[in-house]
Amino acid sequence: MNARLRAAGLPALALVLVGGVLSVQVAYGGGEFEPLRPSDPCAARTVTSQSEGIDALTERLVLIGLDNAACQLGVSREALTLELAQGGTRTDAEIDALRSGLLAAVDQMDEEGSLPPASELADEALDNAGLNRFLEALVRAIPDSVIDAALKTDDVLTRAIDELDLRALLANLDDQGDLNRQLEAAITQAVKDSLVARLRGLV
Amino acid sequence: MRRAVGPLLAVTVAMVLADSAVVTLALPDILRHLDTTVAQVAWVLISFNLVLGLVAVPAALLFHRGQPRILTAAGIAVFAAASAWCAVAPTIEVLIAARCVQALGGALALVGCLELLVGLYGERRAIATWVTAGVIGTAAGPVVGGLLTQAISWQSIFVVQVPVAVLAVPAALTVRAVLVPASDRHRPAIRPNLTLALLSAALTAALFLLVLLLVDGWQHSPAAAALTVSVVPVAAVAARPLARLLPGPREVEVATGCFLVAGGLVGLALLPSAALGWTVAPQALVGLGLGLTVDRLTAQALHLRFPRVEHAGWTISARHLGVVVGLAILTPVFTGDLQDAQVPAQEAITSLVLDAPLPADDKVALAQALGGELADQQGQVPDLHHAFVAADFAPGSRAAAAQLERDLDVQLESAATRAFRDSFLVGAGLALLALLAVVVPGGRRRS
Repeated sequence: MNARLRAAGLPALALVLVGGVLSVQVAYGGGEFEPLRPSDPCAARTVTSQSEGIDALTERLVLIGLDNAACQLGVSREALTLELAQGGTRTDAEIDALRSGLLAAVDQMDEEGSLPPASELADEALDNAGLNRFLEALVRAIPDSVIDAALKTDDVLTRAIDELDLRALLANLDDQGDLNRQLEAAITQAVKDSLVARLRGLV
Repeated sequence: MRRAVGPLLAVTVAMVLADSAVVTLALPDILRHLDTTVAQVAWVLISFNLVLGLVAVPAALLFHRGQPRILTAAGIAVFAAASAWCAVAPTIEVLIAARCVQALGGALALVGCLELLVGLYGERRAIATWVTAGVIGTAAGPVVGGLLTQAISWQSIFVVQVPVAVLAVPAALTVRAVLVPASDRHRPAIRPNLTLALLSAALTAALFLLVLLLVDGWQHSPAAAALTVSVVPVAAVAARPLARLLPGPREVEVATGCFLVAGGLVGLALLPSAALGWTVAPQALVGLGLGLTVDRLTAQALHLRFPRVEHAGWTISARHLGVVVGLAILTPVFTGDLQDAQVPAQEAITSLVLDAPLPADDKVALAQALGGELADQQGQVPDLHHAFVAADFAPGSRAAAAQLERDLDVQLESAATRAFRDSFLVGAGLALLALLAVVVPGGRRRS
C-alpha cells in the first residue's frame, strides 16, 4: 500500500503541475489571445473624427458609408475596405452599395444633427477653391445666414455623391491629387446645382 | 589523455544529437544568406534526421564486420569533415548534401561511441552516460544554435563542431571495445522504441515550433529565443532529482513524463499573450517530461539487449524518424494555419487604423504605408514599424500613433500565436499517443 502511494506521488504532482499551469493560463485569457474580430457593420457605431472642418465631415461620412455598404453587401467593414484598397475593377453591386451607403450616411448625420451648416465649411472651401482674389473676397463678404439659407449641407452632399464617378475614384485611390480633383469637381457641381435648384424654388 | 576519452566521446554523442535541431534558430539566416525558399530550408533540418533515422541500424550492422574503434573514429571524422563542408556550403543544395553526409558519419559515431563507452565504463555506466549525453544534446541543440547564430553566424554552428570531433577521433582510437558473441542476439524492443518515436515527434512540436513562434511570429532575436527555450534543458536536468524524490515504477515515470509533455504543449497552445514569461511554465512541463522519459526509454530499449550497437541503432532510428514524422505532420498544419491567419490579421489591422484617434490625413498616409509593408512581406509576419516611420506624424499625433503601433503589434502577435495553436495541440496528441503506448496492457506485462 505504501509503495502504491509512493508510486502515485509523481503522477499526482504532474496532475497538479499541469492543472495549475493550464488553469492560470486560461484564467488570464489563454485560448482567447486572437486577433480582433470585425464587428457587425449593421450594428450602430459611434463614429468620431480627430480632424476638423471638411476633413472631419468627409471622414465621418466615409466611415458611416462604409458600414452601410458592408452591411448591404453582407461583409465586414474591414473586408470591404481591404477589397476596395486592392484596386482593380469594382462590381456594380459594390458601387451601388457604396453610393447608397454614403447617401444613407448623409441622412443619418442629418437626422442626428451632426451635419455642419454650409457657412461653417465655406471659408475652408474657399481657401481650396483657387478663385480669383476679387471673387473670393466677394463670396467671403456674404453673411453666414445668407449662405445657410442658400445652401443646405445635406442637399450639397447628396448631389455630390450622386455626381461622383465612384468607379473612377476607386480605381485610383493611391493618387491623392487625382482624388482631390474628382471630389472638388463633384462638390463644385453639387453647389452649383443646389443653388440653381434653390433659385428655381424661389421663382 | 586517457581520462578525457570518456568525456570526449560523451560530448561527441551530445553534439551529433544536438545537430538534430541545432539549425532550427539559424533557418531564417540560412534562408536569407543562401537566397532559398522556406520549403528548401526546412530540408536542412529534415535531411539530417531522415538520413540518421534510416542509416542508424545499417551502420550498427557494420560493427559486426569491423573494428569498433576504427569505425567510430571514421564516423566522427566523416561527421567533422561534413560539418566543415556545411559551414562553407555556397548553395542550399550543397548544404543539404553536406547534412546528409554529416548524418551518415553521425550514425556511425553514435552507435560506435556507445560501444567504446562500454569498453571504458562498463555496461551500466556507459549506457547511462550515452543516454544522458543524448538528452542534453537534444534539449540544448536549439539553444546553442541560436546563441551562436546571434553572436557570430549560422556557419559557426558547424565550425565549432570540428575541433571537438578532431579531438574525439584519436580518443576513439585508444579504446578497446568489449566484443559480444554474434550468437547472443535479442529482438529489438518495440514498445520503448515506438514510445520514443512518438515522443520525439511531440518534442519536435515543443522545440521546433516554439522557436519558430518566437523568432518568426513574435519577432524576437535568435539569442532571445535561445535563452527562452533554455528552460527545456534546465527543466530536463531537474527531472532526475524529482524522480528520485518520488520514486515509482519505470512505466509510471515514463507515462507521467508523456503526460507532462502533453500538458506543456497544451499550455503552449493556450498562451494568454505574447509575453515571453508565459512560455516558461509550459516549457518547464515539457522539459520535466523530456527528462523523465527519453533516458528511461532509451535505457529500457538497450537494457541487456545484444548486439548493443544494433539496439542503439534501433533507438536512434526511432528517435530521428519520430522527428521526421513530427515535422511531416506539423509543417503542413502550421504553414496552412499561418496562411489562414493573414486575413484575420489584416482585418484587425484595418479595423484599428479606421478607428484610430488620428487625423484623417494621417490615417490615409499610414494606410498606404501599411499596405506597402504588408505587400512586401507576404509569407511572413510583417514588421510594421517602417510604415509608422514613413507616415511621419505631426507632433500632436505621435502619442496616438505610438499607441496604434503597439496595438497593431499585439494583433500580429495574436494572429501568429493563434496560427501555431493547432500544431501545439497536434503535438500534445502525439505525446498522449506515446502515453497510450506505455499504458496499454502489453506494457504492464513486462514490468
